[in-house]
Amino acid sequence: MAHRWGMVVDLDKCTGCEACVTACHAENNIPTAGATEAGRGRAMHWLRVERYWEGDFPDVKVKFKPVMCQHCDNAPCEAVCPTYASHQTDEGLNAQVYNRCIGTRYCANACSYNVRFFNFFNPQWEKPLQLQLNPDVSVREVGVMEKCTFCVQRIKSGKSAAKADGRELKDGDIQPACVQSCPAGAIIFGDLNDHESRAARLTHSPRGTKLLEDEGTEPKVTYLQRQSWNEPDTQ
Amino acid sequence: MTPMDRRRFFKITAITGTTAALASCGNPENQIVRFIPDEELTPGVAVWKPSVCPLCAAGCGVTARVMDGDAEVFRSGQPGVTRMGLVRKLEGDPEHPLSKGRLCVRGQAAVQVTYHPDRLVAPQRRSGDRGSGQFTEITWDEALSVLVERLDATAAAPAQLAVLSRPRRGRRHELVAEFLRRFGAPAPVSFEIFDDAVLRRANDLSFGRHQLPTFDLARTSYLLNFGADLLGTWNSPLAHSVAYGAMRQGRGGSRPKFVQVEPRMSQTGASADEWLAVRPGTEGALALGLAHVVMKAGLRPADGGGRAGAQIEGWSGGLPAFTPEAVEKETGVSAERIERLAREFASYGPAVAVIGGAPLAQTNGLAQALAVNALNALVGSVGVEGGVSFMPQGPVPAAPARTLREALAAAPPQVLLLDDANPVFAAPAAWKVRDWLRQVPFIASFGSFIDETSALADLILPDHSFLESWVESAPESGAATAVATVAGPAMRPLYDTRSMPDVLLDAGRRLKTPLAPALPWQTFEEMLQAPAAEPAPVAAAPARSTAAAAPTAWRAPELDGSAGEYPFQFMPYPSQALFDGSLAHLPWLQELPDPLTTAMWSSWVELNVRTAETLGIADGDVVEVASAHGSLRAPVVISPGIGPDAAAMPVGQGHETFTRYASGRGANPLAILAPVAEPSTGQLAWAATRVKITRISGADGSLILFAGATRERPDHTRGRG
Repeated sequence: MAHRWGMVVDLDKCTGCEACVTACHAENNIPTAGATEAGRGRAMHWLRVERYWEGDFPDVKVKFKPVMCQHCDNAPCEAVCPTYASHQTDEGLNAQVYNRCIGTRYCANACSYNVRFFNFFNPQWEKPLQLQLNPDVSVREVGVMEKCTFCVQRIKSGKSAAKADGRELKDGDIQPACVQSCPAGAIIFGDLNDHESRAARLTHSPRGTKLLEDEGTEPKVTYLQRQSWNEPDTQ
Repeated sequence: MTPMDRRRFFKITAITGTTAALASCGNPENQIVRFIPDEELTPGVAVWKPSVCPLCAAGCGVTARVMDGDAEVFRSGQPGVTRMGLVRKLEGDPEHPLSKGRLCVRGQAAVQVTYHPDRLVAPQRRSGDRGSGQFTEITWDEALSVLVERLDATAAAPAQLAVLSRPRRGRRHELVAEFLRRFGAPAPVSFEIFDDAVLRRANDLSFGRHQLPTFDLARTSYLLNFGADLLGTWNSPLAHSVAYGAMRQGRGGSRPKFVQVEPRMSQTGASADEWLAVRPGTEGALALGLAHVVMKAGLRPADGGGRAGAQIEGWSGGLPAFTPEAVEKETGVSAERIERLAREFASYGPAVAVIGGAPLAQTNGLAQALAVNALNALVGSVGVEGGVSFMPQGPVPAAPARTLREALAAAPPQVLLLDDANPVFAAPAAWKVRDWLRQVPFIASFGSFIDETSALADLILPDHSFLESWVESAPESGAATAVATVAGPAMRPLYDTRSMPDVLLDAGRRLKTPLAPALPWQTFEEMLQAPAAEPAPVAAAPARSTAAAAPTAWRAPELDGSAGEYPFQFMPYPSQALFDGSLAHLPWLQELPDPLTTAMWSSWVELNVRTAETLGIADGDVVEVASAHGSLRAPVVISPGIGPDAAAMPVGQGHETFTRYASGRGANPLAILAPVAEPSTGQLAWAATRVKITRISGADGSLILFAGATRERPDHTRGRG
């Protein structure tokens, strides 16, 4: 059976530290916009940590929520792309083909989650910062939309490593950069078609919810809600 | 014939290359010298090499992903291009007891230290006025002869040599201390704004351990945290976060409780199950109130506090002055809540109480820490599973470093060596560090960048980046077992830089009056490979006992500035991205949205909703924050997480000189702090300043938020979403 990649974010473990955000920049060659362009709303973070304040001082609470591409089964960005740059792969990834993209930005407008980022300029790395670039990931050019890929380069190399060793892919062999770095282990990635995988099991947790579920986007990212004191452990 | 080593080979290649290039003249591409690589690398295949993250004192082990690539290098005075192994990414080391395969946000960005466009590529000699930042490149021979000449000139009065660095443990610091001792100079001066000297002193008094504590968060059932940003920037944040993840889910049973007590909602506080606002500087009174209830209700006897309890005045009598009602008056936490928390803390063991950061940066910091220590001892949480313990340590250098404050009080030395410290930025302006440094006739820095302090240097001897050198760490806390990490270089140096310990060893050999006795190592590598002393066994009894001190009486914090003129308590805090400002030069961290405000590339002041209303301040308006010692301007972020009589500000921005990414950006809250100290340690009480706030203007575009900014905006709304 084909793989179907999905993710689970345990909000009970997430501390909002943003290690995932920098890890994503480092892994995926995401350009730094600089202060001026960031001030115009052009900063790029494929993965961001949203925070929600509840209540007033002193009875106040904050909830963090890391938001990346939800890799929707029914993705609004795909339907509007005139060039099929944004499309669903056989393994359920919501992929972006950079050299098909003509920069209409329809997909970013259609996306319910604000996770698509447009290259307003050719990205620049002031020398020698280009040496930090990951050779496994292409650098996107001006006029192209980009977004979280679930670290497709790691999925591919994980699969070829397993093939080279002549074995089946195991749960946990593939870890996107955010999953690998997360200090609290709050992000879990895996094959949702493998019912034994940790991600597949946690997707059905009673704490599980999806973002903006009522929009019918059918996301493949599940958020496990925070629990209260003395509730039973569900992981 | 001289054996052909790498350096000599490069030298010859470089010269040949240049001669050829000059002959072809004009076209700059022709002047590129190609160095021939000496590494065996398979193109496109990554190898993993161990290293140690140097960005904070935690000392986490990392692995570096190394792949081949073309790098523009600068070696033996020549620019050129070479194909070499380059570090592409840092990950946590799965085998390391602290990082366990994970890496924090700052550690992820550490690779940019090596590839920073403003890194110094060769030794520099000052060519303009002091502080002008004008330097000229020189060779290592020249640089070393200048240094040695200055050291020789000081040999007659060796006490005139000083080293200023950060308070870190490890063999590099041991080497510096040994060099100074054999030269006849006093112990190194150390300075770090967010150092935990107060907590070490308190732990020495309470438990006989002059050291930072380790918390077994993974197995605790009740975590009561007084103000420590333990999941963000404090002590060993990565190890804490790894353990915190294990505490929250996946260990079975029922979910533990996490209570955070602090005056301003921190990133750590956001994860708490119960968050209590408390008046700044009264956290210790709350801890004593809890202890009072526990003892009075007969949940634990007073003598359970043991040595830690004996440090507190009135403990054996059950702390009669700390009734819930009295503590409510002092702290602002209701008597009823104090009763409930005390019973919870004593009943749901193993419980652990933590204190760190701002509560200790008060004039009563020691009393605050002693109170929390005694509370831990009272419920039997010291040295047990799920409680607090102390990591076994190797021998700690006998001569403790001098504090910067002590050094500033004395006459400036003749020769000052700077290693990784930037007190001109990170100390309050009222300390007048810059004026003191200007009186030092000769300053040499080992830094890789020109910052506010090294701009005053006469000579810069740039160190390798950590990825290019032998690195080590001897963490003070973060795991139950002793940890020592040593790693070789993950890549060859890009530039004409030299390892600082090696430069010191080299200088030591060239002195006219030799060091007595001479240092036994030729290189730092040799020192690291020499057998290290066995770590001291975990001491059941006090390892380093302080002479019995009289019990400490609780006292309220003293703040600088009158409440009438300066109505707000000023709370600077280490930034999740930029830490104490020493990471403000890294572009990934500048563009990292702050966890609680989503601000990037900015400074801001957090104010309570009602306070802002009263002062007529809207979100984003620019205000002036003034203490009795200085003032600054910054935009306001209105926050529900701060009390009406306080103003908070992240530390990190406001650099005058610190590379293209940080210079001239935002404001530095440390500059306006009052020079108030915690009396037992002399540590700066950085949370003890009062300020007043005046609205200056509407939004000026300097506050850049990521929230609501994922759509392109026209220019006229710049910076506001």
